[in-house]
Amino acid sequence: MYRYTDFDRSFLRARAAQFRHQLARHLAGELSDDAFKPWRLQNGWYVQRHAPMLRVAVPYGELSAFQLRTLARVAREFDHRDVGQASERGGFGHFTTRHNLQFNWIPLAAAADVMDVLAQADLHGIQTSGNCIRNITSDAWAGIAPDEVVDPRPYCELLRQWSTLHPEFAFLPRKFKIAVTGAKEDRTASAWHDIGLGLRRNEHGEVGFRVSVGGGMGRTPLLGRVAAEFVPWSQILLFLEAIVRTYNLYGRRDQLYKSRIKILVRAEGQRFLDAVQQEFAALLGDDDPAATNLIPQSRLDAMSRHFEAPAPLPEDEAAPADPQGVASASSPAFTRWLQRNVHDHRVAGYRAVTLSLKRPGQPPGDVSAQQMEAAAELAERFSRSELRVTHRQNLLLPWVRRVDLPALWSAARELGFGLPNAGLLSDMIACPGGDLCALANARSLPLAAAIAERFDDLDQQHDIGDIDLHISGCINSCGHHHSGHIGILGVDKDGSEWYQVTVGGTDGSARGGQAEAGKVIGPAFSAEEVPDAVEALIDTYLGQRWPGERFIDTVRRLGSMPFRQAADAIRAAGLAPAAPGLADQTHEPVIA
Amino acid sequence: MKLIDPRLDPWHTAAAEPGAPVRLRPHLLLTLAQWRATRDAWLPPLAPDRLSARVPVGVCLDNDAELSDVVPDLHLLSLVVLQFPKWTDGRAYSQARLLRARHRYGGELRASGQVLADMLPLLARTGFDSAQLELGQDRATAERALGWFGGHYQVDARHALPWFLREAA
Repeated sequence: MYRYTDFDRSFLRARAAQFRHQLARHLAGELSDDAFKPWRLQNGWYVQRHAPMLRVAVPYGELSAFQLRTLARVAREFDHRDVGQASERGGFGHFTTRHNLQFNWIPLAAAADVMDVLAQADLHGIQTSGNCIRNITSDAWAGIAPDEVVDPRPYCELLRQWSTLHPEFAFLPRKFKIAVTGAKEDRTASAWHDIGLGLRRNEHGEVGFRVSVGGGMGRTPLLGRVAAEFVPWSQILLFLEAIVRTYNLYGRRDQLYKSRIKILVRAEGQRFLDAVQQEFAALLGDDDPAATNLIPQSRLDAMSRHFEAPAPLPEDEAAPADPQGVASASSPAFTRWLQRNVHDHRVAGYRAVTLSLKRPGQPPGDVSAQQMEAAAELAERFSRSELRVTHRQNLLLPWVRRVDLPALWSAARELGFGLPNAGLLSDMIACPGGDLCALANARSLPLAAAIAERFDDLDQQHDIGDIDLHISGCINSCGHHHSGHIGILGVDKDGSEWYQVTVGGTDGSARGGQAEAGKVIGPAFSAEEVPDAVEALIDTYLGQRWPGERFIDTVRRLGSMPFRQAADAIRAAGLAPAAPGLADQTHEPVIA
Repeated sequence: MKLIDPRLDPWHTAAAEPGAPVRLRPHLLLTLAQWRATRDAWLPPLAPDRLSARVPVGVCLDNDAELSDVVPDLHLLSLVVLQFPKWTDGRAYSQARLLRARHRYGGELRASGQVLADMLPLLARTGFDSAQLELGQDRATAERALGWFGGHYQVDARHALPWFLREAA
């Protein structure tokens, strides 16, 4: 993991002090709501349904046990209320798809104190909201994946530093998200990002980036297009500056929904890409060299030392006689857990293990203070005190010795993280939805719970196999419904909640193939109908699948029509003759 | 970073038709159109005794102006004013950075429009060296806003050596 330097620490303290001053001026009436809002957003404070929401960054997903304990402390000491239902009393956080943890019940007056506590653990909310470059995301398996070409983490950290309080790019037309992958398989949904970076080696073995630009979800789902096949690593910050500067100068600012870079890229096409190349050439050729963010080799070398792998394990452990570790897998439950939640590792003798945050009775990605501490303890005992936050809203232990798997399994089960459902139907992605989010048209969590309940039989889930079910409470798409093999989108019609269902969306990972937006299967469903509709889709798959075919493969082979017909059949039995489609959406939510 | 007091500021705009030449006098702040119509009168060295040798002139650019329109004349200008029509519209930060680091503009670079106290660090770091705060903004707060950070990660107009190099050195 990256080890903070004195400079990093003093920088965070300065940021916390600056924010404390701004907050005090705001609370004293010297700084208006409008003049305070962007500064609070760029520190992670976003006013929500109940209270400000704090979004804490976990840069590129790497989290230490100590940091997780600090997050638990924030949940326990600051994120609580003494009134309302149990679910409204706080004390928990929610992991998002972008390596962030959100708190929902912290009063704004305590905001500066919270930032101080976080800073003690090298944590912050810098640029987790606002129209700026957001938290850099990457592959949760970075540095440990067997299919990795180049470890993205040193570059991610350089990008984190470059983008942090970049003075030119603090007030872009709209938010800006960058994902970095260094593996053969793209586990970062990079095509869906404003910029997707893919590390690769050219024919000379030199490291560089394939750069895609202009992807995004929201009401205009678009995939990024390639801006460069190979940008040498030392020049990557300049290429990013060329893109973001072109966007800053020419991106639309007249309408919120036209302001993402994807709209500029779509409108200008090749002209945009040419402008970027021209700006890149000028950055390399014309600018004062002292004003240039070229990365020297010495800097990359120093950065890479932060991410060195541990010393190799003893040979008998690294190359055991029983490489699958199944000798102790006497129970089918353990075998199943090995199958689903234990992942191959590039370093001999190690495994990576998913700690499932998709449990019955708890919203996807939610963790209580107690659970955070329990997960931290597992990381300390089994994973060199390190965790990863995954895109699918789970935790991952990246450094588990193979010989420790049985002990970890029993501890994880005891602590409620042992459900062997990684990648299965109940391992769904969901945003917090209308229960917590002021933007949402509809609630996501009761729906997620209803679907999880419908498919609570693990044997059935294993039979269904790999599937991505994604739920967003509104068109802002925080739950990535566009990329779900099954996607569910909350829409509003005359104040009631409806859900539009898509099939065939993919995020670009190996299980779904090339990234693609899902197709809508007819008018929206009522909340009561959705579990039936999902079941109809699954039944269609089970009835039609060829041996070895996953849900998404069957959708690709058959098209969406049979699925649409099956879902329509349950509709006939329901009470929604005039269910609305997306075109009827009247509400235009605004996300910061 | 110089904070402009409008009562003491010598610069003034010229009331003239947009495309009409402006009568030469010191500290005129012209629109791009006015500058185009007037620039020949400033051009040295055709007449060494021309007023232009001693008369400072400035140009005010909109935040969607193409810099290429003014780049050839930067050496003639003592002041370039960039605009923040809304303070959350950050285009002028990019314009400032380009004027300084690419086009090596060495005169005064001023932020105008809705300029709020908390913007000052961004202005200073992108190359502005003066700012006219919006009415009602507190000067002391603005000055204090410049002092929170001892250093930054990126290269900027104030720190030529980026953190990337500093730590490796």
